[in-house]
This record gives sequence, structure tokens and C-alpha cells, in this order.
Amino acid sequence: MPDRMISLKNVSAGYGKYKAGNAPEEALVLKDLSFEITQGSSVCLLGQNGCGKTTLLRVIAGMLPARGEVLVDGRNIKELRRKEIASYMSFLSQMTRVYYSYSVFETVMHGRYVHGSSFFSGTASEDREIVEETLENLGLQDLADRQITTLSGGQIQRVMLARCIAQESPVMILDEPMNYLDMKIQSEFMEYLFRWREKPVKMDGGKVYRPTMIGVFHDIYLTSCLADEVALIADGRLLAFGRKKDMLTEELLEKTYCFDVVGYLRRFRSVF
Amino acid sequence: MKHFPLMKLRRKASRPVHSLKISAAILVGLAALTAGICIGSVNIALSDTLSILFAKLSGGAVKDSIDASLVSILWEIRIPRALCAFLVGGALAVSGAAIQSILQNPLASSYTLGVSSGACLGAALVILFGAGSASVGFFLLPAAGFACGLGTVLLVIVIASKLDSGFQNHTIILFGMILSLFVNAAMTMLSALNKSHMQRLVLWQMGTFSGRRFSHAAVIFACVLAGTVLITLFHRELDILSFGDEEAAAVGVDQRKIKIVLLILSSFLTGVSVCFTGIIGFVDLTIPHIVRKIYGSAHKTVIPMSFVLGGTFMTLCDLLARTLMAPQEIPVGAITAFAGAPFFLWVYYKGRV
Repeated sequence: MPDRMISLKNVSAGYGKYKAGNAPEEALVLKDLSFEITQGSSVCLLGQNGCGKTTLLRVIAGMLPARGEVLVDGRNIKELRRKEIASYMSFLSQMTRVYYSYSVFETVMHGRYVHGSSFFSGTASEDREIVEETLENLGLQDLADRQITTLSGGQIQRVMLARCIAQESPVMILDEPMNYLDMKIQSEFMEYLFRWREKPVKMDGGKVYRPTMIGVFHDIYLTSCLADEVALIADGRLLAFGRKKDMLTEELLEKTYCFDVVGYLRRFRSVF
Repeated sequence: MKHFPLMKLRRKASRPVHSLKISAAILVGLAALTAGICIGSVNIALSDTLSILFAKLSGGAVKDSIDASLVSILWEIRIPRALCAFLVGGALAVSGAAIQSILQNPLASSYTLGVSSGACLGAALVILFGAGSASVGFFLLPAAGFACGLGTVLLVIVIASKLDSGFQNHTIILFGMILSLFVNAAMTMLSALNKSHMQRLVLWQMGTFSGRRFSHAAVIFACVLAGTVLITLFHRELDILSFGDEEAAAVGVDQRKIKIVLLILSSFLTGVSVCFTGIIGFVDLTIPHIVRKIYGSAHKTVIPMSFVLGGTFMTLCDLLARTLMAPQEIPVGAITAFAGAPFFLWVYYKGRV
């Protein structure tokens, strides 16, 4: 049984007038990428700034049209409606700007939108229970009635993670979610993510999936902790893809980042 | 599953307060409507008003002790006018609330998208090239204004979605403003070339509720009710869209489709208001903010309460417009801004009421 959660076949993408990917090679942000993400695995993308990591995440999440094929659970993402895509994957971005004031409870409840079956569906008691349970698991129960405009950046990010978890999608896409978090909250985030990966996710159709994670973390330590597999991306191309211990080597990292990564880590990042 | 009893208690406790605030607003709205009907150049006692209303609604005869002229003032002038004011105020506030959330911009309204300038151009064309003046005013003028107002918004939506496949908010706002300015320029040229019609056009633009009949009120009522109910049905999508396009897409809202539907619905509401009463600013901008301050941002409450508070505010403004300098009438748009700006500041700095 090939457990492919997401397959990319010859994916190219760009922005502006090259959005659909019909552009000369050099104008594209993603160039002919192909790889497969197994169900239940955790894949992290590594690469320089501007190499196309975030673009790739957006293509996988169906937010940016691309040339080539993106298959989610064997189905072409172009044929999925927005709600179906969201029932497969949740998305956590770097920072959510908050414009209007909602309570924490209401915000996390937004994650239950995909499970509303009809136009009129409000907030079923099952939804409320799941949201309350999620808040409890993430230590947010005391903040449930607080307005999100009064929260700190770290708290907002935790609320957004709660929303992703309450969405109950088998795939979670993380776009540098810990950039603005201090180490304590980072460590808690890691804990939540590991815990999330342990529990199989049942979709509304009844099919059960092992949780799959696709993430970008600029920090190589976070990457090495969270990833099973690593995709190295340089200049919009897939440089290498494989198990973490084969990818995080001195030679490959130097090729990805075009400088002596390990030397830098030894010189400046070894605190103890 | 374990529950935290404290948390549950707190959430339940906040509900009665919420419904108290809602009932209070509805009562104030009814009071404003009553005041709008009773007070004017001829003041009518509340008891007389009620007995006339009762008689008219039950189909019976009005008591002999009440002057017949009072009956006709109340039934043919005051009531339709107050109703129109309430409905238009509500419609403007609802459309403002929806558009501010959709475009994530606290300064946006359907005026930003060119409803008003389009409607003006339509009205100007009718005034300049229309047939006999009497028949023009009653129906053709609103119809043309409405068609051109909505047409302008549709054009903005089409251009913005053609040029920006992501249909991003700043693109929509930018093209809305550009097209508004363009249409305004056409307007200015038209009026400069036809000075004799200027007066009428300016009057139309300033906005007034004078001379509104039940036939107007009925049309406005049907449109506004339909529009408001439809927008309220999208309350979850509105909540989610106010977090931004990408966040909305992430939780499964087809932002492009929903945005287009909601923009058209909101513009429809504004279009109906503008075409019957001219351009009245400020309500669409401030009432939604005030409502959010009082009731929180959930659109399940924000949309209906915007309707109630917007209607209340407009009814009171119209009351002031026709009584402050009676018998002369002040354009109601001036009142909304005069009365609204300080009130808005007060509410804003007072924080949550």
C-alpha cells in the first residue's frame, strides 16, 4: 500500500504575470519539482531566503496555481474545492495580523468551518467540545474569553495553532510558525506538534490518516528535531530529498546555502 | 472529557449581558422611530399617534377627537419618512460593516467601490437627458442611479479580478477609487457643460428623506430586508475573511467567490439607499465600529445590530435635519457627520461600553 499523502509532479510556479507557471525558466520561482510525501511523515524544507520554500508551501496548500500536478491523497488539487482542500490540510503562517477583535474561543472555532455541512450550520455542540478540548490541551483555557487583540504575539500564535488542531485535518503545513516565539514557547510548540503527530486523524468521510507535517523552519535545530525527511531546495529546484540524517550533512548543507554552514554553526551557534 | 467549571460559568454569565445590550438597542431604536414620527413642525401626542396607528392597521375608523390633518400628516408624511430613514440607515451600516470586514480596511465602504459616483452619474444623465421632469423624479431617477451605481461596482470587480488573479484587497480598493475618480470627472464635465441643471443635481446628491411615500418605503424595505438577511447568512465567512485572504483560504473559505458575492450584496444595499435618498455619508463608516466596540466582532451580532443602530442613528439625524432650523431643512448628510463625528470619538475613546 503506497501511502502517498501528497505528490508533486513537475511542479513549476511563479508570481505576477508568470503566475500559472507559463514563463521562461529564469522567471519562475519553482522549477520542475517532483517528490512525494508519505502519509504520517514529517517533511521539512531547507533553503536560502527566496529559494521558493514558502512558494512551495502555498502551491501544496492550493493557494497559488502552478503548472504540473499536485496530488492530495491521490486527487488533483485543481479539482478540489477550497473547503475540501482545507479538510485535508491546515496552514499555520509566521504571524497573523489581527484587525478585528474576536475572542480566543471564536477564533479557534473558525477551524471548525470545514466541518459545517450546510449553509446554515452554526456551531454544533460537537464543535464546541472539540474547541474546548483543544484549548485545554494547549493551556489556553483561561484565555478562552479574552479578545485576541489584547494578546501577545506568542499567545496569538498559540491560538492559531489551536485553530489548526481544531480543524482536524490530516496534514498540517507550517510556514516558519516559530519565528517570533521565545524559546520557552518554542519548546511548548514542539511538544504540541509532537503530541499532534501521535494521534491518527479521522476525516469526515470516516477515513483515518496518520498526521503528516510539512514545514519550513529557518532554524536547523528545529528542523532536525521535527523532520523525518528533509527537502533541500536551491534556486527553485529540488537539490535533494531524503531521510534527515542523509540530508543534514556538511556537504549538502553547504551546497544548499552556498556557504560553510557547519563551520558557522561551530563558530557562532555552539552556546555550551 | 474534563471541563473546567470556572470557564463554563464565565461564558454562560456573559450571555445575559449580551442579550441585555441587544434588547436595549432595539428599545432605543423603537423609541427613535416613535420620536421621528411624533415630533416635527406639528407635534403629535404619543397617545394620538398610537390610536391613529391602531386604527389604520386594524382597518377601523380614527377617533373623531383627532384632527383629520394630523392623520394625514402622520400616515402619509411622517411614518413613511421615518421608516425610509430607519431602513436606509440600517442598510448603509450593514453594507459598511460587511465591506470593512471583507476588505480588512476600517476606512472602506461601498462608497470606496464607486457606488455613489456611479449613482450620481446615472442620476445626472437622467436629469440632463430625461423626459418630462415630473415623471422622471419618482421612479426613473432612482432606477438609473441604482443601475449605474451597481454597474460601477461590477466594473471594479471585473477589472480587479482580471488584473489580479489573487483578487487582493488593495487591488479592489485601488481600482474602486480610481474608477470613482474617473466617473466623478465625467460627472464634473457634464455638470460644467449644463449649468442650468446643476441645482437639481446638487440637491439630489446632498441626500434627503423629504417626500418619501409608502411606495418608496415598501421598495426599500423589500430590498434592504433581503440584502441584510443574505449578508447575515454569511456571518461565519465574514468572521473568517476579516482575518485576511490567506487565513480564510487556510480554513476553507473560497475567498474569491465569497468576496464577490458579498461585495455585490453590500453594494446592492448601498445602491438602493443612494438611489432613493442621495448620498449620505458617515453612517456606513462609523456605526459598524461602534457596534464592534459594544458587541464584539462576531458578525452574527454585528450585522443585525449594525442595522438596528444604523437605523436608529439615521432616524434621529433626520429628525434633527427637519426640526433644527424649521421650516428650513438641513441636508441629513450634514447632520450625520456633525452629530456622528463627536459621538464616534466619544465611543472610541471610552473603550468598550
